Amino acid sequence: MPELAGLDEGTPLFVQVADRLAREIADGGLAEGERVPSTNELAAFYRINPATAAKGVNVLADDGLLEKRRGIGMFVATGARQRLLARRRAEFTQRYVDPLLSEAARLGIDTDELFTLIKEAGHEREGASL
Amino acid sequence: MTPAISCAGLTRRYRDHTALDDINVAISGGTITGLLGRNGAGKTTLLRIMAGQEFPTAGSVRVLGAPPAENEAVLRRLVFVREDQAYPDLKVGQALRAASWFYPNWDRALASALLDDFGLRAHKAVKKLSRGQRSALGITIGLAARAEVTLFDEPYAGLDAVARQVFYDRLLADFAEFPRTVLLSTHLIDEAAAMFEGVIVLDRGRVVLDAAADDLRGAATRVSGPCLAVEALAAGRPVWERRRLGSQASIVMVGPLSADDREQARSSGLDLTPLSLQQIVVQASTGVLAPADEASSETERTSA
Amino acid sequence: MNTWVKVARYNLMMSANYLVLPLILPFSFAVGAVTVGRSGHNAAGYLLSFVIYFAMLGMQTIGRSLPFGLTLGASRRSFYFGTALLGMALALVSGLVLTALQAIERATDGWGLSMRFFRVPYLLNGPWYATWLTSVVGLFALFVYGMWYGIGYNRWGLLGTLAFIAVQALVVVAGVVVVHFEHWHVWSAAGGSFAGLTALGLTGVIAALAVLLLVGGHATIRRATV
Repeated sequence: MPELAGLDEGTPLFVQVADRLAREIADGGLAEGERVPSTNELAAFYRINPATAAKGVNVLADDGLLEKRRGIGMFVATGARQRLLARRRAEFTQRYVDPLLSEAARLGIDTDELFTLIKEAGHEREGASL
Repeated sequence: MTPAISCAGLTRRYRDHTALDDINVAISGGTITGLLGRNGAGKTTLLRIMAGQEFPTAGSVRVLGAPPAENEAVLRRLVFVREDQAYPDLKVGQALRAASWFYPNWDRALASALLDDFGLRAHKAVKKLSRGQRSALGITIGLAARAEVTLFDEPYAGLDAVARQVFYDRLLADFAEFPRTVLLSTHLIDEAAAMFEGVIVLDRGRVVLDAAADDLRGAATRVSGPCLAVEALAAGRPVWERRRLGSQASIVMVGPLSADDREQARSSGLDLTPLSLQQIVVQASTGVLAPADEASSETERTSA
Repeated sequence: MNTWVKVARYNLMMSANYLVLPLILPFSFAVGAVTVGRSGHNAAGYLLSFVIYFAMLGMQTIGRSLPFGLTLGASRRSFYFGTALLGMALALVSGLVLTALQAIERATDGWGLSMRFFRVPYLLNGPWYATWLTSVVGLFALFVYGMWYGIGYNRWGLLGTLAFIAVQALVVVAGVVVVHFEHWHVWSAAGGSFAGLTALGLTGVIAALAVLLLVGGHATIRRATV
C-alpha cells in the first residue's frame, strides 16, 4: 500500500477527508475562524486527487461547518465545533454503547457485570494518567 | 462540457485478434483517470490510437475536439509517454531540448528538477541508461511538457518504489498547479489509486468498468461469518463471490451498507471488510462484472 | 519555429551521422589519388561513396529518429517533410562544396596530378552552375530515395523491402527492354531525344524523379506506426 497518510482504500476518500477535518475541528485542532488547508495542500498531504480533496471539503462547507471567503479560502464557521460535538454525542450510543452491549451479550456478561468492568477500567485510566 | 477525450465505437482489429472492441468512453478535461486491466486487455492500443500513433479499424476518437491522427493542432497539445519508447542516438539533455522545441508549455525548471529527483544526468547517452532511468526520462518529458492531454502508458517499468513515489507526488503537485487531462495506465493499482478521479477498466478489448474512483471505494463489501447470518444479510443483493467452509461463509456483496445493515452484521457477529479499488478492479477484470449495460442480468445470474 | 524546421534540427542532433559527410570526401579523395589519380586517370568513381552515403543518411533518419519524433508530437507528414528539408539543406551545402572543389581541380590541373575526381564525365563536367544544380538535385533525390527505403522497412519489414526492390528492378528492366526493342519504332523520337539529353536535361529528369520519390515516400509514411 502507498503512503496515504492514514486513509484507507475501502471507503470513499472524500468521506475520509471530510471526517478527518471534522474530527480536527471537534478536537480543537482547527479553531473556529481559522483557515482550513487548501484543496491542493490536502491533496499533497494525503497524496490524493485534488478533486477528491475538494469534494471532501465541500461536504463540510455544504453542512455549514466551513465558510468560503472569496479569494482567500475556506474557514471554520462559528459554532462548528459545538455542532460537531453535539453530533458525536448523539452518535455515541450507536457507535459505542450498542456494540458493547451486543458483544457483552455474546460473552454472557450481564449489565451489572458490565458496569463493574467500566468502572474498573475508568479507575485504572485515571490512575495511569496521574 | 465537451470531454477532452472521447471514443465512439472504437474498434481495432489485427489479423488474428481484436485488440479493441467497440470502445465508448468520454474523459472529462482536468481529471486524472486510471486506465486499468490485465496484460493484453487493450490499454496500450487504446492509448496509441488516442495519441495518433495507431489507426482505428472502425469508430472514432476525438482528442480536444478533433481526431488526433496527423493533426498537429491536437498533437502539439498532447504528450504520450510510452513504456517502450525508442530513442535515437541522443544524450538525455538533447532529448529534453528537442522536447522543449515541440511543446509550447514546456517547463525547463520542472524538467531539471525531475532530472535531479531521479538522479539522471543530462550528458549521459540515452542508450546507456538503465530501464528505470529510461522510464524516468519518459516521465520527465511527460510532466515537463505540461500538455493539455497527458497520456502515460505504464510509465515506470524498472523504477523502484521511491522513484515511483516521486512520480506520484510530482504529478499531483504539478496537476494541482496546472490542471490538465491525464490518462495513466498501470498495473500498480493500489499505489496509484488515490490519484484517480475516474477509472476505466478494460478486459479483452472491452470496457468492463467506467466509474468515478470514489464511487467504487466501499461499493462492495466482504462479509464473513456464520453461514446463515451471511445469507440473511446478503438476501436480495448481488453477490460476486461465494465461499464456504463448514458453517462459515465469506461472500462479496455489492451495494452500500446502511446503518441498519451494520447493526445487523454486528449483532449476528459478521465481519465486514470493504473492498479496495484494486480488489474491485480485479473482480471487474476477471469477468465477474459484465459491461455496464448488461450488469443487471449478470448480477442476477451470479446471485442466483 | 515551423514544425518542419524543428524536425530538421531534431534530426541534426544525431550529429555523428552527419559528421561522416565531411570526412568521407577527403578519405575517398585520398584513396582515389593514391590508386588511380597518379597515373592521370579518372578517379571520379570514388566520389560515388559520398553520393551513396546520402541515400544511407536518408534511410537512417526513419528507423532511428521517427519513433521519438512522433512522440514529440510531430505528425508523420511534418516529420517526413522536415527530414526532407534537412536532406535538401545538406544537398545544397554539399553541392556547393563539390562545385568549389571542382573549380579548384580545374584551376590546378587536377591537383597537379592530372587527376579527375570532381569532374565526372558527362554528368558533372559543365559550367559551375550546372555542376551545382546537378549535384544538389542528385543528392537530394538519393536522400529521399533512402528515406523511402527506411519507411518501407518500417512498414513492411525485410520481406516487404525486398519486394520493393524487386518491383523497382522490374520497372528498370522493363524500361530498358522497352527502350531497346521499341527504339526503331514508337520510341524513335523519344529514344533519340533521350540519347541526346544534355547533363542539364538529365538533371531535369532527376528532379522529376525526386518529386515522384517524395510523393511515394509520403504516401508510404502516412500510415506508418512505430
